[in-house]
Amino acid sequence: MALLTPFNKMPELNTANILLVENEEQFQTKLADVIVNYEKQINVNVRLARKLPLPIENADTRPRIDLVVFIVNLIYERSLQAMESSIKHLDSGFFVGKVCFLVTGARCGSVSHERLLSVRKLAASLHCPMLCAEDQTTEGVRAAALRLLSIVKVSAGLVPTATALYLSALTRCTLPAELDQD
Amino acid sequence: MALVHTNFYADTGASAKQTESQIIHPSERSVHNEFSDEAKSELLDECEKQFSQLQKLQNEILLADTESSDGESSEIVNRLSALSAELEQWQETEPKLMPTNPEILLAVGKEELQTLNTQLKMVLSSAQVKRDALKDTLKREQTWLQEKKEVLNAVSEKVSELRLESEGLSEHSVLVDMKRKIQTVKDYQSRLMDTLSDMLTDHFPLPEEQANTSKRKRTALPDPGRHLISLSEILELLTNKTLESPHEPYVTMDESFWPPYTEMLLRNGIATRHPEDSTKIRLENFY
Repeated sequence: MALLTPFNKMPELNTANILLVENEEQFQTKLADVIVNYEKQINVNVRLARKLPLPIENADTRPRIDLVVFIVNLIYERSLQAMESSIKHLDSGFFVGKVCFLVTGARCGSVSHERLLSVRKLAASLHCPMLCAEDQTTEGVRAAALRLLSIVKVSAGLVPTATALYLSALTRCTLPAELDQD
Repeated sequence: MALVHTNFYADTGASAKQTESQIIHPSERSVHNEFSDEAKSELLDECEKQFSQLQKLQNEILLADTESSDGESSEIVNRLSALSAELEQWQETEPKLMPTNPEILLAVGKEELQTLNTQLKMVLSSAQVKRDALKDTLKREQTWLQEKKEVLNAVSEKVSELRLESEGLSEHSVLVDMKRKIQTVKDYQSRLMDTLSDMLTDHFPLPEEQANTSKRKRTALPDPGRHLISLSEILELLTNKTLESPHEPYVTMDESFWPPYTEMLLRNGIATRHPEDSTKIRLENFY
C-alpha cells in the first residue's frame, strides 16, 4: 500500500488516532507522552513514524488515522526534505483538514528564513494549518500537545457540529500577497 | 467498557514499542449503572442503528475509492467538491431529537449541568483572581497618588515660601523675621528652663525633711540644711560663671554646696573638678 488513505477503515468508538511524522524522532516522543497523559475523556492513540510510506506489514493492525502531523525542525535541512518526500505518500483525502504542520526551532537565530518560508508555502498550497512549537521547554511541549489534541478531536469527528474541513477552512496557513509572488 | 485504553507506538515495523495505560472513565460508568433495562435497550437500539448506517457508508466509500482511485484531480478541485458537499449536507440536516425516555433525558441533563457547573466554577475562579489582581493594582495606584500629592504639597509650599521671600525682601521684613526667630528661640529656652527647674524641684529636694524627721540627728548635726543651696542654684552658679568669665569658669565650693549633689554632678560628667584645686569645679564643655 503506497498511499495512506483516510477513509478505508471503520472508525472506532470514542477514539482518535494521530500520526506524528518526524525524521529526527526527538520531539515526537515527548509530544506523544504529553498527549496520551493529558486526554482522559476519549481514547487517543498516538502513532510515531520517521517517514512515509508506512510499512505494509502493519497496515492491517493500523487503525484509521484521523490526523497526520508533520514535524519539521528548521535547524536541519534534512528534516524539511524528509517531510517533502513523505507528503507524496498521502492520499489526497487527507488534505481536507486531516494534515497539520508543526514547525520547531523557528526561534533559533541561525536558522535560514527560507526554510520557514518554504514550509509556509507548502502549507498554504495544501490548505493546511501550520503551527509553531517550542520543543525545548515543558510548557512549549504542553501547549503544542493541547493544540494538536483540539485539532484531532475535530478531525476524528468527536466534536459535534464541527468537521475537519470546516476547521481547516478557518485555520489554514495563508501567505501574505507579497511573499506569494516571489 | 469502563476501561479506556490509551496507547501509542512507533509505526516503523520491527522497533514497535507499546505503552498502555488504563483509565477509568467516570461519566460512562455512572450512566451504565443508573439505567433501567428499558432505557438501556433503547440506547443500544439507537447505537445499533447508527453503527449499521456507519458500516453502509464505509462500504460506499470503499467502493467509490476503488472506482476513482486512478482519477487524478487537483487539490483545489477536491477541496471545492468536498466543501460544497459539506455545505449541502449541512443544509439538508434536520436537528435530531433525543430519545424521549425520561431516564435518558435526566442523565443527559445531569451531565450537561455538571459540565456547565465545572465551566462556571472555572470562570468564577478566574474572575476572582482577576478581581484580586485589580484590587492590588488599585491599592498600588492609590498609594502612588497619595505620595505624588504629598510631593506636590511640599513643593508648592516651598514655592510659595520662596515667592514670599523674594517679594518682601526689604530691610524691615528681614528685621521682623529675625525678631520673630529670636522670640521663638527665647520661648523655647524659657520653656526648657521651666522644665528643668520643675524637674529639679521635683526630684532633687534639699535634705531638710530628712533632718526634720529625726530629732536625734538634728541634735547630732548642727543644722546643716539652713545654709544649703538647691541643685538648680548650683547649676545656675556654674552656668553664669561659664558664661561671664569663660577664661576662669571654676567656682569655689563652700559648705552651702550639699556634697551628694556635687558628687552626682561630677560623676555624671556635668561638672569637672579643677586639676589642682579640689575645692573648685566648673561646668563641663558641652559644645
